[in-house]
Amino acid sequence: MTEKYGIIASFPDTPSFFHAAEKVRDAGYKKWDTYSSFPVHGMPEAQGQARSKVPVFTFLGGITGFTVGLLMVWWMNAYDYPLIIRGQPFFSPVFPFPIMYELTILLAAFGTLGGMFITNLLPQHYSPLFNSDQFLEVSGDRLVIAIEARDGQYDAVATRQFLEEIGGTDIEEVSA
Amino acid sequence: MSSDTRNSKGSQVGLIALVVGIVGIVIALFGFKQGWDTGEVRPIMSWLIALGFWLSIAVGMLFLVQIWYVFHARWPTIIRRQCEHFMAAFPYLLVLFLPLLAIPFLHENPGLLWKWMDGHNELPGHGTVAEDPLYAWKSPFLNIPFFAIRGIGIFVVFIGVATLLRKWSFDTDTTGNINNMHKARRLSSLGLFLTAIAMTLGSIDWFKSLEYHWFSTMYGVWFFAACMRAALASIIILTVILACKGYLKGILKQAHRYDIACMMLAFTVFWAYISFSQYFLIYSANIPEETFWYNIREKNFDGGLNSWWWVSMGLIFGHFLTPFLLLLWYKTKVVIWRTVGVSIWILAFHLLDLYWNIIPGKLVAPDHGAGYLIRQFSVSIYDLAALVGIGGICIFAMCRSMKKAEPIPVRDPNILTSINYTE
Repeated sequence: MTEKYGIIASFPDTPSFFHAAEKVRDAGYKKWDTYSSFPVHGMPEAQGQARSKVPVFTFLGGITGFTVGLLMVWWMNAYDYPLIIRGQPFFSPVFPFPIMYELTILLAAFGTLGGMFITNLLPQHYSPLFNSDQFLEVSGDRLVIAIEARDGQYDAVATRQFLEEIGGTDIEEVSA
Repeated sequence: MSSDTRNSKGSQVGLIALVVGIVGIVIALFGFKQGWDTGEVRPIMSWLIALGFWLSIAVGMLFLVQIWYVFHARWPTIIRRQCEHFMAAFPYLLVLFLPLLAIPFLHENPGLLWKWMDGHNELPGHGTVAEDPLYAWKSPFLNIPFFAIRGIGIFVVFIGVATLLRKWSFDTDTTGNINNMHKARRLSSLGLFLTAIAMTLGSIDWFKSLEYHWFSTMYGVWFFAACMRAALASIIILTVILACKGYLKGILKQAHRYDIACMMLAFTVFWAYISFSQYFLIYSANIPEETFWYNIREKNFDGGLNSWWWVSMGLIFGHFLTPFLLLLWYKTKVVIWRTVGVSIWILAFHLLDLYWNIIPGKLVAPDHGAGYLIRQFSVSIYDLAALVGIGGICIFAMCRSMKKAEPIPVRDPNILTSINYTE
């Protein structure tokens, strides 16, 4: 017997899709997700997701950029090759500020991009869900909830029943 | 809440504000009279600071309303009406500006506050204003008649644009005439330019020309950033009060507060960017005509640090870094008491920013030699009186306007989008 990735269920319209997601959340499942071709407002809350961790990456990137800019100008202008410019000091926090500021923004942007990839588990070129022909229709008008087999509460029979109860149709077990 | 209870509650607050305002104004005018009689300008500066503080809030709101019209912003429709109410303060602010405008015409030393207005005024270290070649170059712009014309013109723009926007918006409540919105949008696209020019001239005339030797092309933008920060912080405080105690209960959503707080973050960065750029350009060019303005805000003539150094550091860390770091957090933008706390913080430091821009000045040394003294940082009872006094009149004007129109623009085409707004 091949290993199972999980069970997918389709929902006829956005409200039932949305409320089904709330029921899956309340049933205590952890390893599951919703799939639609358009954003559904309030879905992260309905799925019980915490706020994105991307801002943390942005902040760390910004701090790194600020520090790197500061040290770079200090090293170049005051340590490695001291230069007298306009009689101003070799190092002060004033004149390198544009460099510190630009590097803050640059590395904060890199942090955001990297953080987005990391928290979204990208790049991911293959997902077992693509084994299902029904699932491919998500890029059209299908609304799908998938509960994964690695969830602690997963049970091939009980989970299928649960999805039926909350209004799921076209329920299908997807192989890994 | 029925409109009758709403009105009586509003009248009550308005009446208290009027009484408090008049008491404050009387005390501040007493200080103003003392300054007038003795020639000691500090109590007159209290009036200028307080006027600048409340004017900056009203001007920032005038900008925001026009920006929202021009960009066809739908979400702030319920907030726009509160700004329109506060903009009723402009005519009162013109009246409160007149005591300052009286100085060049009625005082024996026309240059009591703005020292370039009297050629006999002695400059620290070198001669008098009349002998100053820099003043000679600037005199086609810096002369009393043109100053007075500009002063009135600036208020004509503020009052004119605000009155038309208010009139059309209030008219839509009763007639539902959609043309009012089109007219407001057309006016705003021109009005933004007029408001920007008027505000720039105002900041140059009233604040920058206090040290007329100085050059800075960033000054108008600095005041714009300051106005926007003051207005956004005031909007948060005003709308949260109205949502807790008044007619915005259940209407003001988390999403509205979140978006205003996001703009607060943006303009905190913008204020720092502009303020630093001004400093940075002058630091790099290193020309004495420009650097003295920052020198007197850091050091005395003998080179020792003065009181303004602490205020300068306070502005960098208190007016930029602290609100910037706090506003980065999502929670600061949605948890009511945190957003209100940051808003009060920003308004307090905005006031300090005005102190920092207005009060420091070079004073003639006692021996009339090459050195100079600096007017140091101080807080007086007249500062508080003028602030409370002018503020009381502004709040009275707002409450009076609140009685005239619906609490939210009920027949505005975007009102539903605004009420149902989500993040």
